[in-house]
Amino acid sequence: MMRSYLHLVVITSLVLLTIGLGTAFTVGGISLYMPPLEVRSLAKIYLNTTFNTNFALSPLSPEAVTAIVWDYRGLDTLFETSVMFLAIVGALMIFRGLGERVPGPGSGGGGLSLIVKTVTRLTTIMIVAVGISIAFHGHLTPGGGFQGGATIAVAPMLMIIAFSVHFLAQRVPVKRAVLLRSAGLAAIAVTTYLVLLVALTRGGYAYIFQNQPKVGAPYGIPSYVGDATVLGGTLLLFNVAEMFAVAFGFVALLILITVPEAPAKEVVLKGED
Amino acid sequence: MTPVFLFNVVMLSMIINVGLSLYGIFARPSLVKKIIALTIFSDTVNLLAVLIGFRYAEPNPIPPVLVSIPPRPEDVELFVAKAVDPVPQALVLTAIVIGLAVTLFLIFITTQIYRIYGTTDVRKIAKLRG
Repeated sequence: MMRSYLHLVVITSLVLLTIGLGTAFTVGGISLYMPPLEVRSLAKIYLNTTFNTNFALSPLSPEAVTAIVWDYRGLDTLFETSVMFLAIVGALMIFRGLGERVPGPGSGGGGLSLIVKTVTRLTTIMIVAVGISIAFHGHLTPGGGFQGGATIAVAPMLMIIAFSVHFLAQRVPVKRAVLLRSAGLAAIAVTTYLVLLVALTRGGYAYIFQNQPKVGAPYGIPSYVGDATVLGGTLLLFNVAEMFAVAFGFVALLILITVPEAPAKEVVLKGED
Repeated sequence: MTPVFLFNVVMLSMIINVGLSLYGIFARPSLVKKIIALTIFSDTVNLLAVLIGFRYAEPNPIPPVLVSIPPRPEDVELFVAKAVDPVPQALVLTAIVIGLAVTLFLIFITTQIYRIYGTTDVRKIAKLRG
């Protein structure tokens, strides 16, 4: 009794300490919070240079968030993508051997009623369309490859619930999903060197992760054509490739995690050969 | 209903959220409940990060998106004077998707533990040998 009381006191004080320190660090002291009238000077630099034709190193993207994610801090995002890559690889490794154990169609055909199936057919197309639109407009509006991919990942979950794992795994097997995901990651890697390749073919040099022409490396992917058509340079390519990587990574994971209990246990308890 | 009051209601509710989720992570024995508490924690911290980048502007701040292509210097000036901080948004954007992948990884481990040992109670898992 005494021990559990002590346990609770220790946990509560730890929680209170964490909250107190966290609040003090984030809002600069424990007091009434009010958003400031001015943003920090770092944000001013980003906002001022994100699309500034007078500034030599501007990424020329109308969307400041995408400019930060794939241009100013592109290398950081590459490493963050590799964190997600490792998390998915780890999950695939733990459930190795389950990809081939997706059960066949059940005796009743599997899935929910006809109404649910029809509605799911319609909404799946809409969800995928919205996800692709979010990714392709990533350099214009709030959104990008990560959000588009995460939106698309909702569609396979709906299909698994309304139809069956078999239904999805027949169309996109785990191995194909992993392959398409790797294709997305490879496209990111190629885009990283794209401007350098363009520069080398013209007998010049450029930086890795270069988007717009820089001082000493006057090569780049055009950011906009005319007055209204925004191409976004490499940002568009990065967003689309990232969407592929995220969406198909989640498809592979969702198929594996919804493999029914009985065949999964068979594989797990049998162990390694 | 002054803005100060409303912003502090948001702040207080998020602090309570952090407290509840930390309690869930530390004190609940079930791994599934720990994962649920962890997702609440990460979502709250993400919202907190976005709120730090928020600014108070009359009549309203604008999202960090330029609408005129190519912008004139006065457009950029207005943009800097009104737009919210894009840096926390860029951090949260990747944090959400990576959080999703890491959460799925944790769920995979928990499922595996349940399939092999038949329990998700950390007190019982800690006593297991081999």
